Amino acid sequence: MSASKLMDENEAVARFVDDGDSVYVGYTSAAYGLCQAIVRAGKRNLEAIGGSVGPQGTFLFMGGCANRVRAGYVAAALRPGVVQEMMADGRLRFEDYSNQGIALMLMAGALGIPFIPTRSFLGTDYLRPEFRDHAGGFLRDKKWAEMDSPFDGEKVVLLPALRPDVAVLHAQRADEDGNVQVWGHLGDARWAYWAARKVIVSAEEIVPREVIAADPDRTVTPGFRVSAVVHMPWGGHPSSLVGYYDYDYAYQARTMSRMGRSMEEWQSFADEWIHGVRDRAEYIDHYRAVFGAEALDAIAVNAGPSPIAPVRYGYNATLRFRM
Amino acid sequence: MSEQEYTLAELMCVAAARAFPVSGVVMAGMGLPMLTATFAKLLQPPGIVICTEVGAFDWRPPPDVSRAPVGIHDINLNDGSAMVSDMVDALGTLLMGGNVDLGVLSAAQVDRFGNLNTLVLGDYRHPERRLGGTGGNTEIACLAKRVLTIMPQERRRFVERVDFNTSPGYIDGPGARLRAGLPPQGPNAVVSTFGVFGFDTGDGGDGSCEMVLEAVFPGMDPDIVRLETGWPLRVADGVAEIEPPTAEEIALLRRLDPHHFYLTPGRY
Repeated sequence: MSASKLMDENEAVARFVDDGDSVYVGYTSAAYGLCQAIVRAGKRNLEAIGGSVGPQGTFLFMGGCANRVRAGYVAAALRPGVVQEMMADGRLRFEDYSNQGIALMLMAGALGIPFIPTRSFLGTDYLRPEFRDHAGGFLRDKKWAEMDSPFDGEKVVLLPALRPDVAVLHAQRADEDGNVQVWGHLGDARWAYWAARKVIVSAEEIVPREVIAADPDRTVTPGFRVSAVVHMPWGGHPSSLVGYYDYDYAYQARTMSRMGRSMEEWQSFADEWIHGVRDRAEYIDHYRAVFGAEALDAIAVNAGPSPIAPVRYGYNATLRFRM
Repeated sequence: MSEQEYTLAELMCVAAARAFPVSGVVMAGMGLPMLTATFAKLLQPPGIVICTEVGAFDWRPPPDVSRAPVGIHDINLNDGSAMVSDMVDALGTLLMGGNVDLGVLSAAQVDRFGNLNTLVLGDYRHPERRLGGTGGNTEIACLAKRVLTIMPQERRRFVERVDFNTSPGYIDGPGARLRAGLPPQGPNAVVSTFGVFGFDTGDGGDGSCEMVLEAVFPGMDPDIVRLETGWPLRVADGVAEIEPPTAEEIALLRRLDPHHFYLTPGRY
């Protein structure tokens, strides 16, 4: 019997996120609660990784935790504000890829191969050497390479394998051994689970292993790959989680829409919603205190198909091998 | 409908939806493309097969769907999909494997050869303005068999040459895609707030590959479109005028964007 990997988010971050780590921060499985715990812990010199890095990445940039980002899309860079300034003056170094690029690089990392070819990026300005070697970058000639296939001569771009030091992910459910089940569209999370050296999972529900084993198709990573499991209802808020809750646009508009504009705006947000609470449970208590006890009902899932038709993973226990 | 009863942005979505094929696999990017794909699917079911880069395959919006997906990772894409999986399946197996007939995209800039820019305004090394980035726009432009681009028209957005080519159209003219190692592409289209553009790819792929104004919105003068285009725009002989949207089209479009997430009133 393996030891339980259950712990709270502050312990998980203290034990498994080290200063200097590269951190996969997710997209569809965005771990907002864990990212806020990283900010609270004052981690430094991190690299944020993801195909599309949303506001949970903004927390790490504005919070002084991450000074590098490797992504196809950085939400914080979309509008003028502190993160654009950080990218211009070198405080936040960046390497631009794409959603497919990051997903394939994570897959290559998971497979243990050094690089993976793609037909994307051909014909783009990304491949111009002066842009690859830009002053804000940190990879230079380790960013990609072009070659003609040795088999048919076709041009491909080689992307380096990516093995994040740690992945933080939010999931629907897990057991205390770290077996994780996720359903719905997965974005680039599937391969991040396998590529990362350390995996920290927060889950809406902690279930017995029997629940996992009764439906093993839904497991995205086996427990032996996982370092820590955190029981964290609403751990993806204000982002969404299939089957649990939708995007909290009203909260984002009210509390987060200005946080990137200045360090004063950021500090005001962080003091209230990150440093002002001890963990996600206190965050949710605070949410209810501010917006009302029933406010979360406005985002709780209330439509869509249910229940699903039962499936059976059966076999014949008395099968004969000889007549 | 008369012109006062719809906005240019709404007209753009209606014209774009009408430009959709009647069948084929469509991968729509975030923003107006996803709204327009949802709208097109409901206008002419069963028709197109909608897939997202996040991992929804053959999403069929329920007839009573409360909104078009807000972004491409909206959890409502899991209700009505034939399959959900991940980005390697969507942008790898599906797209790079050659299974996407039409990519629907938007961008900050487009140029006369249909190249798109989603990354930066000005020189990448010393930008005037950084943008969010390309997401899956790059690979969809590289690898979809055709591309439909939907974006508001302004002179600073319709430029002679994009500041940074994140997403290749015909690059710098005939044969350039093949020389770059990309599959050929087309016929492509751009729908703006002024009209509908095609590309001169010629019957045998031997045209100039540049953008041509093929149809304008009701009452729009092609000379106005020229003024808001950053290169000497070619206008097709006998340029057509697009039929105004019907009341039913506008009602459906507004129902899909109940919170004006995409179509902010008064913006265009």
